[in-house]
Amino acid sequence: MEHEDGSKDDDAEKAVNGSLALGAAPLADLRDVPANMDAFLAGIERRAWRMAEIHLGNREDAMDAVQDAMMRLVRHYAAKPAEEWTPLFWGILRRRIVDLQRRRKVRSIVVGWIGGGRDDDGDELPAWEPADDSPDPSARLQDSQAFGDIVAAVRTLPRRQREAFTLRIMEGLDVAETAAAMGCSDGSVKTHLSRAMHALRIQLEAWR
Amino acid sequence: MSQLDRELEHRARDLYVRASRDVDPAIAGRLRAARRTALASPHESSARRFLLPAGAFAVIALASLMVWQPGPAPTPMQPVAASASAAPTDLPPDADSADPALYKDLQFYSWLAYNDTSGSSHR
Repeated sequence: MEHEDGSKDDDAEKAVNGSLALGAAPLADLRDVPANMDAFLAGIERRAWRMAEIHLGNREDAMDAVQDAMMRLVRHYAAKPAEEWTPLFWGILRRRIVDLQRRRKVRSIVVGWIGGGRDDDGDELPAWEPADDSPDPSARLQDSQAFGDIVAAVRTLPRRQREAFTLRIMEGLDVAETAAAMGCSDGSVKTHLSRAMHALRIQLEAWR
Repeated sequence: MSQLDRELEHRARDLYVRASRDVDPAIAGRLRAARRTALASPHESSARRFLLPAGAFAVIALASLMVWQPGPAPTPMQPVAASASAAPTDLPPDADSADPALYKDLQFYSWLAYNDTSGSSHR
């Protein structure tokens, strides 16, 4: 995991974080302080669901995660200042996503034990994944292929790099908010993000 | 390098925002319903937040009281004869707690006690 050349890491981090300062404008309209909790959730719910879907790869699990995150935010943090809701919400959603991923892994292992991982002919069974028969909404997008490509590339990243990239780049949180949502230091966010960008640059070379 | 990174970031963010905006109506409806359910759920009030520590404190205090039960203060052991030796005019010792042999020589002990105190006062 550690890079051999620390100076290259530093340069990459500076480049990533420098370019983000210039690229923060497109989400500026999404980051206004909300008037109330209803307005906050209404503004964030679709992005939250999309974010959960990117991480979980399943629409129903994504819905469960978002619903649970909304409930927890309202129940425990409604009295907090509205400026704090954004990192709190993403932090709750991130933990819920991790919980679901772990639960899915355990289910997969249990199914493997029960079934022995092989069918009657002795062929290996595929890993258990929850059924997802719903139509893919991204198919309705003009450039759904491009979004599918980047989602596929993001899903290959290690979890912490994936979290840093989606929260910092896609959602547009600043470093401190990303660190609060991820439960780590600002420096860790920069390191994870630098490595994520490095991996994505290679994967998406043709895409650019 | 930096320019290419910027393009990647802009494009990823743009695609994410558009994909979020264009979720299908069924998902959007379920998200609205989830939001209403969340907002209708009871909030954790600040008073309730203090209930748990207060309850824990009450339980600890009660447990401490139950463990620490002050018994009667220990009294120094006194010989039974001591109560009889205060003065010859004192009441006789309690029949339940005194040695029964004491009653046999009660007059002797009274005389002894009287002479002992009067003897020491003569000195």
